Amino acid sequence: MNLAAIVQDQTSHAEAVLFYLLAPITVLSAVGMLLVKKAVHSALLLAAVMISLAIFYILNEAPFLGIVQIIVYTGAVMMLFLFILMLVGVDSADSLVETIKGQRILGIIAAVGVGGLLIALVSKGNLGHRLFGLEMANGEGNVQGIAKLIFGQYVWPFEVISALLITAALGSMVLAHREPDSDKKDQRALSEERVRQSAQPVAGLPGPGTFARHNAVDIPALLPDGTSSDVSVSDVITARGHLAKPGDFKFLETSDDDREGN
Amino acid sequence: MNAPNIEYGILGPILIVLAAALIGVLIEAFVSRRYRYILQTGTAFAAVALAFLQLVLIRQTSSKAAVSSMSIDGVTIVLQGSVLIFGFLGLLLIAERGFQSFTAQAAAIPGSNEEQKALVSGLQQTEVFPLTLFAISGAMLFPAANDLLTLFVSLEVLSLPLYLMAGLSQRRRLLSQEAALKYFLLGAFSSAFFLFGSAFIYGQAGSTTFDGIRKSIVESGGSDQFLLVGLALLTVGLLFKVSAAPFHAWTPDVYQGSPTPVTAFMAAVTKVAAFGAAIRIYYFAVGGLVWSWRPILIAISIVTMAIGTVIAIAQKDIKRVLAYSAIAHSGFLLTGIIALSKDGLNATLIYLFTYGFTTIGTFAIVTLVRDSGGEVSDLNRWAGLGKRSPLVAGTFTLFLLGLAGIPLTSGFVGKFAIFTAAYKSGNISVVVAGVLASAIAAFFYIRIIVMMYFSDPVEDGTSVVIPSAMTVATIAICAVATLVMGIYPQPVISAINSLAFFAG
Amino acid sequence: MNSLTILGLLPLIGSAALFLLPKGSDLLAKQVALGVSIVVAIAGLGMAFSFNRSATGFQFVEKHQWIPAFGINYALGVDGISLLLILLALVLTPVVIAACWHEAEGGRWSVKNFFGLILILETMIVGVFAATDIFLFYVFFEAMLIPVYFLIGGYGTGEKAAAAVKFLLYSLFGGLLMLASIIGLYVISGNQLQAPTFDVTALSQLSIDPVTQRMLFLGFFIAFAIKAPLWPFHTWLPDAARAATPGTSVLLLGVLDKVGTYGMIRFCLSLFPEASKEFGPTIIVLSLISIFYGAFLAIAQGTSSGDGNIKALISYTSISHFGFITLGIFAFTEQSHSGATLYMINHGFSTAALFLIAGWMISRRKSERISDFGGLQRVTPIMAWLFFIAGMSSLALPGLSSFVSEFLVLVGTFARYPIPAIIGTIGIIFAALYILIPVQRALHGPITPGNENLTDLTLREKVSIAPVIAVIIFFGFYPQPLLDVINPAASATLSALQITGIMGGK
Repeated sequence: MNLAAIVQDQTSHAEAVLFYLLAPITVLSAVGMLLVKKAVHSALLLAAVMISLAIFYILNEAPFLGIVQIIVYTGAVMMLFLFILMLVGVDSADSLVETIKGQRILGIIAAVGVGGLLIALVSKGNLGHRLFGLEMANGEGNVQGIAKLIFGQYVWPFEVISALLITAALGSMVLAHREPDSDKKDQRALSEERVRQSAQPVAGLPGPGTFARHNAVDIPALLPDGTSSDVSVSDVITARGHLAKPGDFKFLETSDDDREGN
Repeated sequence: MNAPNIEYGILGPILIVLAAALIGVLIEAFVSRRYRYILQTGTAFAAVALAFLQLVLIRQTSSKAAVSSMSIDGVTIVLQGSVLIFGFLGLLLIAERGFQSFTAQAAAIPGSNEEQKALVSGLQQTEVFPLTLFAISGAMLFPAANDLLTLFVSLEVLSLPLYLMAGLSQRRRLLSQEAALKYFLLGAFSSAFFLFGSAFIYGQAGSTTFDGIRKSIVESGGSDQFLLVGLALLTVGLLFKVSAAPFHAWTPDVYQGSPTPVTAFMAAVTKVAAFGAAIRIYYFAVGGLVWSWRPILIAISIVTMAIGTVIAIAQKDIKRVLAYSAIAHSGFLLTGIIALSKDGLNATLIYLFTYGFTTIGTFAIVTLVRDSGGEVSDLNRWAGLGKRSPLVAGTFTLFLLGLAGIPLTSGFVGKFAIFTAAYKSGNISVVVAGVLASAIAAFFYIRIIVMMYFSDPVEDGTSVVIPSAMTVATIAICAVATLVMGIYPQPVISAINSLAFFAG
Repeated sequence: MNSLTILGLLPLIGSAALFLLPKGSDLLAKQVALGVSIVVAIAGLGMAFSFNRSATGFQFVEKHQWIPAFGINYALGVDGISLLLILLALVLTPVVIAACWHEAEGGRWSVKNFFGLILILETMIVGVFAATDIFLFYVFFEAMLIPVYFLIGGYGTGEKAAAAVKFLLYSLFGGLLMLASIIGLYVISGNQLQAPTFDVTALSQLSIDPVTQRMLFLGFFIAFAIKAPLWPFHTWLPDAARAATPGTSVLLLGVLDKVGTYGMIRFCLSLFPEASKEFGPTIIVLSLISIFYGAFLAIAQGTSSGDGNIKALISYTSISHFGFITLGIFAFTEQSHSGATLYMINHGFSTAALFLIAGWMISRRKSERISDFGGLQRVTPIMAWLFFIAGMSSLALPGLSSFVSEFLVLVGTFARYPIPAIIGTIGIIFAALYILIPVQRALHGPITPGNENLTDLTLREKVSIAPVIAVIIFFGFYPQPLLDVINPAASATLSALQITGIMGGK
């Protein structure tokens, strides 16, 4: 029986309406996903495609598949996509430079050709067997039916997929995992190193005004031998020439000339 | 519902390799870095040897297994045996520590200090061993798969580790990463075709098992569009894997970019696995559609031979030359599938078996010719190798003559068998094309020989390093196999002839 | 083990011994090589005396299974034609080794390797002529390219690498075409006989439809025409001969290329009689073109004032001679066939003499230009006279061996194709020109400056060339022993073609 006829025959009205509504959206979203420049838009269009597909599955009485599609793809996978996009930067866009001249045109022609051929052939296709019908597939319930297949007929490929998943996990470790940098020093190493370099004061720099008369920021600290310490005052103040000199604090009248004349 | 029966005994070889791969993953997770290499190599070699032993024990099997998902029959035994042997040789090359073929740390940015540091500190990605084991298990599953789903999953199990390993080369990291990405993207693309095709075939046949498809073709007369569309798309996926034109574009880049031990492994093992699966599909599942697929495969075979041989002439990089030669060999191998006869089946298996040794040996020698920066793959710098190290050049010459199919090498036996089968089936056009392509191919093999013997060595630091026993063993085994199977192939041929039957 | 196998194995063992010798033991290597080749030659001659001349079919037959899966046997055997060709090779090998004592010294590789390669080549030649299994024949046919390739490329002069590659590729290409035909034959034999086979005798019983037969014939014929070499497949020869050392050229042109004409008789004619008859006239035209083309080019070399090359000249004369041989083969008369076979032997000896003496001239004069050899008659009379004799043999002077064969070929051809025979006879006149002009210009002319102090042949050289000259003269007067061996084989080939009597068939 011709496929087109079967479709005509077995599709209910509501289903047809929904299909014709959603199909263009799906196709347009898919095409748009390839054409838009920004990765985020692309991801969102992908989500649209996946949701539409989920609806199609549910329409075709495969509710389990539809819901899994939403949970896994639209939920988990899309979220991962978006996370990665956030990490990479939302604004990053692919550069679409043709390295082979006319590649895009040729690509489009080839794609349309192959697509056209496929559509032409499929629309004339026949099924080689009776339609099994959904009643049989869903006879014991949709989930039960799938479970039976996964753990019955297809148990071997299903188990083998585990090898695939492990490979993927191992692969992502290989490609992304870096050994911790062995040269990075911990706190202890840093402090020991600091003590060894005796030119630097171990306990940090003296603050301004320590042991001096005033504790204003422009007053150098006095060291135990009575000399003033240059490092105790911010370089900026020194540069601006606002550094106070010990002479400034004599019990004399201070004149502006003295202060600015240094 | 009864629990499905899994025949652990006859699936044993695959399970052993898979288990070893899992142990390898655990070793990565729990064992100190110092002991990883020795444990990983020990596990891998032991697993492959054990699997081979188990394969020998079950060699008389001919039945379906795992709810008809697998077909363990003579053809499978031969192919899995080949995969295990070539996998073992590939592992020997991968385990070589005399020089660094693999990057010390794949995650380090190429050219960064970090990469340098990892290299100096002698880090090693010992993950390649479990990855290789996964690839081997995939290559064992692929030709044994008896339904489209298993076939697809095995294809991915085979390919995914290879995509990863292609990107691990120490030399020319960026090129290697590009190769890996290209391989991955194109591989994913071809997988999509494969899956699309499977869906169509399922739609028409109402079954994913090869037996079901075979039956459906007999019943429907095989004239249905769905089946043809599905087969066409499936063919695209398979031809990608065997690197037949026009789906060969990845081959030179990936062969060049991958670490050479991986290239050796990939060249031999993937070819065996992919042609093994192709044989099962074209001979068993869709044999009834021969009038539909044969003309297409004839055209593809001829184009593949032509592209492989003609473009190889223009190459300046030894690994690219060998890649194009691998493409040409795919063309030759397709003639065995076109034959669609018991002779064709035998010939294809013999060809695969002989080709694997020769190609691994060739790449093993490529790993030896180095300068301070790593491998020297520029052909011009191979000049005068015959003078510098006659033994290496002599062995390489043997391998090249084997690839060219000169009598008294194993390559000739394979070529003769496969062309005879094709001729017998009446497809004389591919035989003539094959003969002409062989003549062109001889040119670039001989050009390399001329380069090695009749040019004077250039003093540019190129030298042949002294490898460890592992690479030496690989080269020796491959050379002996190439020579012995060229001079006295009868035992191998009769063993393959007597084993190679499909389980009905 | 059969005598043929032993004959083939001896040189191989000798070469293995040579390769195992330590470095620098050149003299020992030469002595071993010479010793081995002389032993083999004596063994071969001994074998020839036990050959039954009155019987047809193969003798010294030996057959072992090699690759039963493909019905391939290790099958050896000789009839008159192959026996003589093997003897030619066995006799010429020690001559070449002795004559080319110092030839390998300027080579890329060691001297022992040179002689080792020559001995390997000897094994291959015995194998290729003795094989009665086509697959085995093909294996030897291809395998013998390798030693020649290294002999030319490793020890030659000038553009040696290019010449070696050209030689190898031409031969490989031809060989692959032949392989396609062999596969075809094999498949047909599988359809017509109980089991597919490569046995020549069994394959000649097949009845193949005309179209297929034509295709298969061409596969074989082109391979052999490249080897022979027949115009227009000859272009590799001058390069190879110019680049190769004289010793290599002797083996290449004198012996190896006979595989081409031998193959035409053994395989083209006996396996594809219909196609052979069909293509016969075309090939006769090609043969005539070869005769004149080779002659003209040789004359051009001989007369060119500056850079006429003596090795090239000899190689062009060979093209002309091979034209006569193929003419004889495809004229399909008993006389022409016997003549063609005899021609193969005689050409082997006369070319050997020419090349070896030319080689001595070149090594003394350090030049290959004909114009540089002026006045050798006076300076080195023995060398000049021997060259003269060899040249006379080459142009088929009555009383020297080539005359008989050329005469037989032309007479035999005349019986069936008078006009080509007459045209071919004109070729003899050109032969006289291409030999006499250089002889006159080089040997008899005034002494070219630089030639005054050349030394004449040494004792080693005289001894080594003596058997060749003796053969040329002896069989010139008394060719009957050779013809006795050849005639039964020739008539057997023709009877397979179902052409009876000289004028029959047409």
